[in-house]
Amino acid sequence: MIKYLRKYWLFFILAPLFMLGEVSMDLLQPRLMGTIVDEGVLGLSNGGVGDMSLVIHTGLRMICLVLFGCCCGIMSGVFANLCSQNYGNDIRKDAFRRIMALSFEQTDRFSTGSLITRVTNDITQVQNLLSQCVRGFVRTFLLFAGGIVCMLTLHLSFGIVVVCVLPLIVLCVIFFIAKTNPMFTVLQDRLDRLNNVMQENVSGIRVVKAYVKEDYEKERFGRANDDLVGTQLDVLLLLSYMTPIMNILLNVSVVAVIKVGAIQVGAGHTTPGDVMAAVTYISQILNAVMRMTMIFQTVSRGVASGRRIKEVLDCDPSITDGTFDGETETSVKGKVEFRDVSFAYPGMGTEKVIEHFDLTIQPGETLGILGATGCGKSSLVNLIPRFYDATDGQVLVDDRDVREYTLSALRGKIAVALQKSEIFSTSIRENIAWGDTSADDGQIRHAAGTAQALEFIDRKEEGLDTQVAQGGHSLSGGQKQRVAIARAILKNAEILIFDDTTSALDLKTEAELYQKLQKEYPDTTKIIIAQRIASVKDADRIAVIENGRLAACGSHAQLMESSGIYRDIYDSQLKK
Amino acid sequence: MAEDREQSMSKYKVPGMRGPRNRQVEKPKDMQKTLGRLVKYFAHERMTVLFLSAVVFVVVAASVYAPRLQSEAIDRVSGREFDRLTPILLFMLAVYGVHGVGTFLQSRESAVLSQRVVKKMREDLFDCVVNLPVKYIDGHSHGDIMSRMTNDVENISNTVSQSLSSLFSGILTVLGTVAMMLYLCPPLALLSCTTVILTIAATKFLSKAMRAFYRRRQELLGELNGTVEEMVGGYKTVVAYERQEAVVEEFDRTADELTRSGIIAEILGGSMGPVMNVINNVGFVIIAAFGGYFAVNGMISIGVISAFIVYAKQFGRPIDELAQIYGQIQTAIAGAERVFAIMDQTREDKSGSRDMEGAQGVITFQNVNFSYIPGQQVLHDFCLEVRAGHKIALVGATGSGKTTVVNLLMRFYDADSGEISIDGVDIKDIDCRILRQNTAIVLQDTVLFADTVRNNLKYSNEQASDEDMIRAAVMSNCHDMVMRLKDGYDTMLSGEGYNLSQGQRQLLAIARAFLAQPKILILDEATSSVDTRTEKKIQDAMVKLMENRTSLIIAHRLSTIQDADYIVVMDQGRIIEAGNHEELLSQKGRYYELYMTQFSGNTI
Repeated sequence: MIKYLRKYWLFFILAPLFMLGEVSMDLLQPRLMGTIVDEGVLGLSNGGVGDMSLVIHTGLRMICLVLFGCCCGIMSGVFANLCSQNYGNDIRKDAFRRIMALSFEQTDRFSTGSLITRVTNDITQVQNLLSQCVRGFVRTFLLFAGGIVCMLTLHLSFGIVVVCVLPLIVLCVIFFIAKTNPMFTVLQDRLDRLNNVMQENVSGIRVVKAYVKEDYEKERFGRANDDLVGTQLDVLLLLSYMTPIMNILLNVSVVAVIKVGAIQVGAGHTTPGDVMAAVTYISQILNAVMRMTMIFQTVSRGVASGRRIKEVLDCDPSITDGTFDGETETSVKGKVEFRDVSFAYPGMGTEKVIEHFDLTIQPGETLGILGATGCGKSSLVNLIPRFYDATDGQVLVDDRDVREYTLSALRGKIAVALQKSEIFSTSIRENIAWGDTSADDGQIRHAAGTAQALEFIDRKEEGLDTQVAQGGHSLSGGQKQRVAIARAILKNAEILIFDDTTSALDLKTEAELYQKLQKEYPDTTKIIIAQRIASVKDADRIAVIENGRLAACGSHAQLMESSGIYRDIYDSQLKK
Repeated sequence: MAEDREQSMSKYKVPGMRGPRNRQVEKPKDMQKTLGRLVKYFAHERMTVLFLSAVVFVVVAASVYAPRLQSEAIDRVSGREFDRLTPILLFMLAVYGVHGVGTFLQSRESAVLSQRVVKKMREDLFDCVVNLPVKYIDGHSHGDIMSRMTNDVENISNTVSQSLSSLFSGILTVLGTVAMMLYLCPPLALLSCTTVILTIAATKFLSKAMRAFYRRRQELLGELNGTVEEMVGGYKTVVAYERQEAVVEEFDRTADELTRSGIIAEILGGSMGPVMNVINNVGFVIIAAFGGYFAVNGMISIGVISAFIVYAKQFGRPIDELAQIYGQIQTAIAGAERVFAIMDQTREDKSGSRDMEGAQGVITFQNVNFSYIPGQQVLHDFCLEVRAGHKIALVGATGSGKTTVVNLLMRFYDADSGEISIDGVDIKDIDCRILRQNTAIVLQDTVLFADTVRNNLKYSNEQASDEDMIRAAVMSNCHDMVMRLKDGYDTMLSGEGYNLSQGQRQLLAIARAFLAQPKILILDEATSSVDTRTEKKIQDAMVKLMENRTSLIIAHRLSTIQDADYIVVMDQGRIIEAGNHEELLSQKGRYYELYMTQFSGNTI
């Protein structure tokens, strides 16, 4: 990930340099203050007569220096931000681009939630890490080192105080961090549990009320609440020791510096002004140490996040393009063939979802697929557009192995509408136009009409331009499914796959949809996964899948005669 | 200087500690009223509050007094009175000790106080939420309700535990410091105040400049996160339609814009520190110059100057901080307002006192009218009588009012007019708890809790013995399934029961209804998302469950309801047909139509 810095190397160098400017000014201040007190006010070298002009003179010089420091500080901020935010942005864009190119087994492995966190939170953490490195860390380190150097140049004996207190502070900080960090994990866990109880009660309010469980739930919530409050209190109480101990250590060292200084002043080795400066330096040094621990926390978080982002960046798509662009051959259009296909989800071991599956779907054929939930229906159709690759055997589209095609050529031949209709937060028109970005209004309306979606779209005030809320929440399940179907139809592909996309439609609408589809697109190969026998009853053939195997395949009439499972399903739905 | 150190310590990321600076500030609508109600929560903790105030007072006093001692010590050093130095140093240590102990007590007490208040507030809020009418929950986004219960309460908690005592000590420090400075040297004190004016002006100017950029950044961040969530969540569709490039381009646009406003916002935010530094140093020079002048003229001692230098720093900080705290308090109060808004909702009307002992389960709807939104009537003059022990089915398109019937019967909602009665008693007169205890309901979205299978089943009847529970499970065909789980009945279901299939969840919900031993049973689309063969299993279970009980079934699939005693076909809130399966078929009306599309199927 360091290579992303290359573009911003200038900023990366300038930010610490300007910081050096700011810190030097900060470090000069106590010394100048000392001069003002010693020479200007006390007039030590002038036999106890103050020198007002020196005060004013040095004071103005000091203000100039501080102003210069301020400019340096601001410039350092400018460059640090230019560097870190642009760096973060580049990584963010690359990471997102990479995610958009991943194969499903990879997105499954990462899980959606984790991918989202990686592109959002983790990047912010890395950004913070970088800006801490070029600014915070540099500043703190310079203040620390510079503070020690300045203090020792005042008088070496002040070093004794530093040597004594520093290890104590470091030990103390380490102790508290080690002690509290594991508690935060517990705390998060307790918080999750409490939120879970609330979530259950809000979404399950009917059940809670139906079984008159209000008091029971209150008790359950009370327990989760007590746990959370207890843990939180433990953390806070532990931390309430930390601040005072640190403060006392700091204050004791201030006293020690004065005492040591007094001895040296008594011996004539140093001046009261120097003692005052030393007091300032010691608190600067110790503050730097404490700030350093915070920076280390940011760094360790940032490094962990960086590792997580790197995992994404280093992930090469496992499903890659073939070479065949699909343009040359025109003889067969819309043929799908499964040759002894077996499939197990990557990472799920040998547990096969599909086993030795053989089936050829002819161009223009309508194939229904029936089977219990979890029998492998969706997994099967996922193999056609290469959402996943078969573990064994071959999947062929138009007589070519799907792995030979370029992905865009292959997916261009196929239109899929999913059961969990993925609708995006834009207008309905845009959502449908995903199928074919060049489509005009007429084509979009036509597709929507075929999908039986016009009926509800036209009832909306803004028609096709109606905005869909995020997650499609402003549409009902059936409406979302119809928009997804319209999108698939608009694509006008050779192969149309409905993965249980009509489950939320009432039977009449569903029947009309299929009728119209058959009439308008007779040459398209249609693969329809369904739960209801009525949805697929009139398909050319119906494949019945059980436990990942093809249990039976044939027309409705044939299956009624030959397949026990099919009859079973039929009876369960028709109750004859 | 003591303040300086505390400041750096409070930057540790601790839950319950202050959030990042420059966060969006929300403005409450009626600050005074909400504040008054918040104060009531502290009334119970009067002693703690008093003690805390006393402690804060001591801490502030110590931190104001310490620099004075420091300056005296320096005076002794410069006056070469070394023999008189040690007692002062010892005294200083003592004051620092008091300060340390005080800080400890302060953070300890404010932790205890805030956690107690928050605990009470959460409990109160939860009590309100479970007793809210279903109408409220249905009518508000669950995300919004959740966010009030989590974020807003958390925000209040943070403010209470941190900002309040900072506010208090901040104000005290400023007052104490000013008093001390005035006592030491009034003219110099007034001169030091110029820094305050500069500080306030700078803070105001910078935060005003920042606000717009921070807001823009926040918006863009939300937009960006939204895009990522949507596109990664809908990844299959993105890939299936080859939209990756377009999506990435959109993302890049937002990301670039976010970076631009982020850079400006952070630069402005980051310049606060250096600017404050300049102001502080200007203050220092003013003090040194004028102090030196006064000292030369013998008006003050050198030690006073050194004390002033510390004091000037000490009161510059809290002023910068107070501005920040004020914003946090405003945000917290706006949150409190939302929390109280829920607490102010009228609770569910649970009046009614009559028992249902010995009830038969005759349900009567008489001329019931109902609308969720005024003007959009859902049920029109609805009349229906269900005889005891009968199995009655409601069919009809989505939105025809089937579920509304259930909502009214369970008193999740109350009818606008007309009467619903059980065995002739208006359900409004029946004790709501008893009504619900005698009516079991199985819903389309199975609600299971993150608890053991046992507790989930016994949810409907805590008194049930294990034998009862197993009997119910056997009857609902889920005993074998449960026994196959890792820990049998003690298996923990994950949140919302996601480690079970939809069908298994449904079976458990039915077993739960079984165990309730209800007089009336309601099944609302209980099997719609299960494949039909699993459904058959469930149905067999339900047949047993419905024996000798008045049951009300709502279903999409007609196969589910064919053997009902009485089928009611609804359309737009009215009953359009009623009768048993054969009668309705022979009428060749809407039911026949539905039946034909469903069973004979149409051409694909």
